[in-house]
Amino acid sequence: MKRKGTGASAAEWQLTLPSLGWLLVFFAAPSLIIFVISFRTADVTGGIGGEWTLTHWRAWSDPHLLALLWRTVWISLAATALCLLIAVPMAWFMAGCSAFWRNAILLLVIIPFWTNFLIRVFAWKAILHSEGALVGVLRSLHLLGAGDTLLYTPAAVLLVLVYAHLPFAILPLYAAAEKFDFTLMDAARDLGASATRAFFSVFIPGIRGGIGAACLMVFVPVLGSYLIPDLVGGQASDMIGNRIAQRAFADRNLPEASALASGLALAVMVAALWIWRRQSAEVKA
Amino acid sequence: MKKRRAFSTAITIGALVFFHAPLVVLVVNSFNTSRFGLTWDGFTLKWYEELFRNREVLAALWRTLKIALLATPVAAVLGTLAALALHRHRSRLQQAHMLMVQLPLVIPELLMGFSLLLFFVATGWQLGMTTIWIAHVTFCISFVTMVMLARLQDFDFTLLDAARDLGASRWQAARRVLLPLLWPGVLASALLSFTLSIDDFVITFFVSGPGTTTLPVQIYSMMKLSRSMPVINALSALLLLATIVLVMSSHILIRPRRS
Amino acid sequence: MTTRRRFLLSSTSTLALASCEREDEGQPELPKELRVFIWADYIKPELVKRFETEHNCKVVIDTFDSNEAMYAKLKAGATGYDIAVPSSYMVKLMHQQMMLNDIVPGMAPNLRHISGDIANKVYDKLFKVSVPYAVGCTVIAYRKDKIKEPEASWMLFDRADLNPKTTLLNDMRETLGAALRTQGFSINSRDEVELGQARDLVIRWKKNTAKFDNEAYKAGIDSGEFSAVMGYSGDLFQVVAENPQVGILLPKEGVVISCDEFVILKEAPNPFLAHEFINFMLEPNVSAENMEHIGYRCPNKEAMNIVSPSFLSNPVIKIPDEVMNRSEIIEDLGDDLPKWTKAWDAAKAG
Repeated sequence: MKRKGTGASAAEWQLTLPSLGWLLVFFAAPSLIIFVISFRTADVTGGIGGEWTLTHWRAWSDPHLLALLWRTVWISLAATALCLLIAVPMAWFMAGCSAFWRNAILLLVIIPFWTNFLIRVFAWKAILHSEGALVGVLRSLHLLGAGDTLLYTPAAVLLVLVYAHLPFAILPLYAAAEKFDFTLMDAARDLGASATRAFFSVFIPGIRGGIGAACLMVFVPVLGSYLIPDLVGGQASDMIGNRIAQRAFADRNLPEASALASGLALAVMVAALWIWRRQSAEVKA
Repeated sequence: MKKRRAFSTAITIGALVFFHAPLVVLVVNSFNTSRFGLTWDGFTLKWYEELFRNREVLAALWRTLKIALLATPVAAVLGTLAALALHRHRSRLQQAHMLMVQLPLVIPELLMGFSLLLFFVATGWQLGMTTIWIAHVTFCISFVTMVMLARLQDFDFTLLDAARDLGASRWQAARRVLLPLLWPGVLASALLSFTLSIDDFVITFFVSGPGTTTLPVQIYSMMKLSRSMPVINALSALLLLATIVLVMSSHILIRPRRS
Repeated sequence: MTTRRRFLLSSTSTLALASCEREDEGQPELPKELRVFIWADYIKPELVKRFETEHNCKVVIDTFDSNEAMYAKLKAGATGYDIAVPSSYMVKLMHQQMMLNDIVPGMAPNLRHISGDIANKVYDKLFKVSVPYAVGCTVIAYRKDKIKEPEASWMLFDRADLNPKTTLLNDMRETLGAALRTQGFSINSRDEVELGQARDLVIRWKKNTAKFDNEAYKAGIDSGEFSAVMGYSGDLFQVVAENPQVGILLPKEGVVISCDEFVILKEAPNPFLAHEFINFMLEPNVSAENMEHIGYRCPNKEAMNIVSPSFLSNPVIKIPDEVMNRSEIIEDLGDDLPKWTKAWDAAKAG
């Protein structure tokens, strides 16, 4: 039944059109609109001017923005790395469990992920509170100076970002580890590889697809974070998303917000396509 | 081998504690007399009483459920059709289709919210319940499609052909054979969309209009006011309970039954 | 399995039905809806309820946290609000953008209670498109248990021992304004050299600051998370009323004074009801009760005679003359807005 080739039949169009049409109108068109608006002049009353200009794209070369950009990139990379560091051993562990425990752990991972997002951030604000129990314990252990705080720092942003995105790393890695053939590990051991060596040279390559998906599901959304830096970040934790929101909601400059948003969207698409390409190349190989 | 097992066990337990500690803090604090929950000052139910008296929260909850109930079926139908098309056909059209389905999954919410807002501004659409509904359907479609695609992998399409061979019309075959087999997947993905819809803050915040404060938007403003902060704990505990019920039911639905 | 599916289905449809029913019940009882776009904690909820009962209507209140955010939302197509409550400088911009409906004096007879002296603080001196609602200023709140005998000055934010437990408003007009004021310049300066100096001062303050914030500082100072915050007088007045550990300072360099005003929007679905609402809020006893709750002074002659003397003696409510003489009102910047945005970006990034 599967059709290969380029021509699409009427039946295929019938099936495809509803969702594709909806997404073209409400996803692709809006994305194109921000791209177009980014080349329009801004007017100080908050409207979109009638002329064409490249001014707003020059905002990307503003040194103040570059600092934000650098912070955005390192926070996203660090969040992705931390998520992988936790999720890979977890996937390994879950794959080795009985069906009952797999399901139980999976449920325990999914429950917080389905709980209201703002509420979880709210909980972190209570935990990291400068007069809270955790800070008190850390201070008494001299792990934290008397004047230091946990909340409103880039570290707090990183922590909550990892918290929010970790399930997105665990689920694809678990799916990949579940399909992994563990007899390969035994074979490697029989051939004299150490456990660590077997883990890195057999297991890790074996779940490459899952690692790619996990990177995609963590790195790309984190690049565009705005709410978490806004809520648990401080004066030195703004990311590029916060600047976009500020331009749109406080500075009455929709075209510049659009230029920043389009730039971010392009970066996101490049990152996503690059990871997808690699994944499909691996599948073919 | 044993050492590695110990290491991964520790990480797994640590991660599960990390996931659940904030939730425990919320539930405990919902019974804490202390306003900010920094110390345990005694047991109380007053935050729950305050919550049930708070008509803004109740109104926001109704609005949120209404949007979710209206967005979910549309997203479920569109997403299921998309999954069928993607599963059955391999063409350039489907490659483009797949890209359109996958991009919303990774695009940051901020970008989706902002571009939808400008789209509505450019087309002169009045912001309100309709714009929120459109936004929610849009981001739910992709999730439904992905869940359905995963379900379709274990699906035996020869059954459909067999039904056609036995003289069933295409519609009959779809309704009598396809639908009953797909139903658990459709329900599970609908449940996922429902949860995503009631949880969404960023996109909703961008495209909301007058009198459309949804529960997450309400929570967002309550988080900033000290008077209402403890009430959030009570609300969280109840939402958590609802989530557990939802997750359990979807987990039962989504699990492939191979027995 | 069938039972489980049926259960899910039936529970879903029950929910759907319940939500429909609610709406059906709601419609005949509450025929009119008034939509108000206002700052958070800026109106006494009991008074809103009283208005709903008296006028058999429903009042929907949505909140914003800065004039700019409100303006952006309205400009983006959030039509359907009847009333908004911008500050005076924003009224000017909205008026120029033809976003406002005229106020019909005959439909709001209580306009006569408004004190005459407010006219020199607002853009619309004859109340043609706006009705002064409340007057407030930007002040400092501090924790008495953390700071002993602080000096009433914006330079409190320069104290390194408070690091990192202060907040500044995430509003360039307020924070750069306070820095301009501290250096003896006008808060409406359009001079790039002056703005540059203000920017540098904000960068110094920022070293001791946890974050730029417009709303959460209230809960923050209340719970002891912060030691000193810059914030709006009435909001902090509300915190002080509940928490004796918090005190308020009126900086000697002068403060930013703002007058927020009711406006009826051009495309208001219910301009008649909007007038009734404004008229209701101007009733002397309503106005008096409201101002004691929100902690801002309502410019209402008759209400001033009713409110408790202790409320009026609070320096935050009735600013002493020596501070008042150094205080200013924010004006719209017009074409000079980008200069400010530039200084603000540099301050936030620096």
